Amino acid sequence: MALSGMRGLSVFISDVRNCQNKEQERLRVDKELGNIRTRFKNEKGLTPYEKKKYVWKMLYIHMLGYDVDFGHMEAVSLISAPKYPEKQVGYIVTSCLLNENHDFLRLAINTVRNDIVGRNETFQCLALTLVGNIGGREFAESLAPDVQKLLISSSCRPLVRKKAALCLVRLFRKNPDVMNVDSWSDRMAQLLDERDLGVVTSSMSLLVALVSNNHEEYWSCLPKCVKVLERLSRNQDVPQEYTYYGIPSPWLQVKAMRALQYFPTIEDPDTRRSLFEVLQRILMGTDVVKNVNKNNASHAVLFEALALVMHLDAEKEMMSQCVALLGKFIAVREPNIRYLGLENMTRMLMVTDVQDIIKRHQAQIITSLKDPDISIRRRALDLLYGMCDVSNAKDIVEELLQYLSTAEFVMREELSLKIAILAEKFAPDLSWYVDVILQLIDKAGDFVSDDIWFRVVQFVTNNEDLQPYAALKAREYLDKPAIHETMVKVSAYILGEIQPSSGQKAWM
Amino acid sequence: MIRFILLQNRQGKTRLAKYYIPLEESEKHKVEYEVHRLVVNRDPKFTNFVEFRTHKVIYRRYAGLFFSLCVDITDNELAYLESIHLFVEILDHFFSNVCELDLVFNFHKVYLILDEFILAGELQETSKRAIIERMGELEKQE
Repeated sequence: MALSGMRGLSVFISDVRNCQNKEQERLRVDKELGNIRTRFKNEKGLTPYEKKKYVWKMLYIHMLGYDVDFGHMEAVSLISAPKYPEKQVGYIVTSCLLNENHDFLRLAINTVRNDIVGRNETFQCLALTLVGNIGGREFAESLAPDVQKLLISSSCRPLVRKKAALCLVRLFRKNPDVMNVDSWSDRMAQLLDERDLGVVTSSMSLLVALVSNNHEEYWSCLPKCVKVLERLSRNQDVPQEYTYYGIPSPWLQVKAMRALQYFPTIEDPDTRRSLFEVLQRILMGTDVVKNVNKNNASHAVLFEALALVMHLDAEKEMMSQCVALLGKFIAVREPNIRYLGLENMTRMLMVTDVQDIIKRHQAQIITSLKDPDISIRRRALDLLYGMCDVSNAKDIVEELLQYLSTAEFVMREELSLKIAILAEKFAPDLSWYVDVILQLIDKAGDFVSDDIWFRVVQFVTNNEDLQPYAALKAREYLDKPAIHETMVKVSAYILGEIQPSSGQKAWM
Repeated sequence: MIRFILLQNRQGKTRLAKYYIPLEESEKHKVEYEVHRLVVNRDPKFTNFVEFRTHKVIYRRYAGLFFSLCVDITDNELAYLESIHLFVEILDHFFSNVCELDLVFNFHKVYLILDEFILAGELQETSKRAIIERMGELEKQE
């Protein structure tokens, strides 16, 4: 629990912790804020060490939940401090208290730029970190060229270059024009070839940002991504420090596979073959292990591989392997895997014609609809909705209606809408459809939008044959002791629409 | 990308908060309150993922602390879950068997470590060794 220096800070923290209640805490904090305000006003008497201490205190007070607006200026001004200990505080506290919408930040641009282009590596790092974390459009315009220089400079350590790469990610997101594509296409390809995995990891994030915006210029990076995957998959030239529970940088593997998903196809047959070998190894070779972290990491890679296979919409065989895996996953006890199984199965529906295979798992998916965890119930609902067709609509809608009775409020509106849509789309006959909608209104009237009951009324109006049945059903609901306002409206409409001949029968 | 990272204890006190998207003070407080409510009541047997507004929160509890990452809806959940664990391992190494009090009294160091681990909402470095070595370099300059 050692605190290097800054005894005043420790004492303050202890004081706050020893306060018996919120009132006392507020008093202590206000006292300190008052003290800091006074000391800041009289700048002459303030040593850099003291300034540093007060600015850290301000951050601590801010974390407690109090307002420290008056101190923004001080934090930003410390960025210009000549020595590291004070400069560091200025940079860090500024990035915690301010954001790109604060005008004050503009005041720092010149200092920040000086640090970036200057010779002091530590200052460069501080500056890159600030800009990467909270830089806005103006920073992008002023600083992008300088940051780019650092990224490709061979005299910079990997430490600086990886910060430059991520700093560029932010600047690019703020203003895509800062990356002049002509020169960057080749440079990105080179960066991905680097030995240092820290640099490759950061560069891969930059690549993802670039290709998610427009992949056209970065085709040369495609084979590089595959090479990175091969390197990791075969554990070639992967230092121990980048191995996580035996898995070569799972995060970089995931990022590389993510980058590949932004390219529509892989034309080159050799690259294709190499990639499929890697994917095959992942699909077939990911075992369930006892160690939670290793399991999560290997499955993080597996699920991203699944997404990539789906995207490539490739070999039928690989696709069926994926569905088989997912079928296994949705039935495991481990909730995270079950959740991801359901989520990915839903994605699979959209990509390719595997509906039939997925329908075999219907029973398991319905079980998930009743899972105690709302996260899982949500995914199960999405999947059931997506896999519904004429053959299973009755069963699925039935289950959804049942679930509706016990579903919590946050889900009822979505649930009602989905039930109504499925009922209309896949109704085997119209009377079933009317039944479902009336049941829907009965169970969750508050969440049934007007559109839904307007439609059922419309159907009844336009289908004379339907009217006797509809009238009968409406009458049944009206007989209940308590009915929803919407039910009254619907019943009134339906009964009002009846032609005299069929109407008499119904009223009997 | 990571939109924000929060470390909160069971009572909802914030031990670390870093935002990679611009939010005003009042919005941050609201977010911290909502995320805490979301994660503190979830059964340990449930998933570590939960929807939050139009994003998702990946979280895990370590002793009395909740580590939460708010990420984009399309992000890889398990990868981020393990990045939380990696961060905890780094803290554990740096503070030699870390506990909540270490993080309270050394919050300034935690921010320093975080800045070596995540930048611009993306993972910057995944080698525990590289980060610890870097922290050593920085300590020498203090």
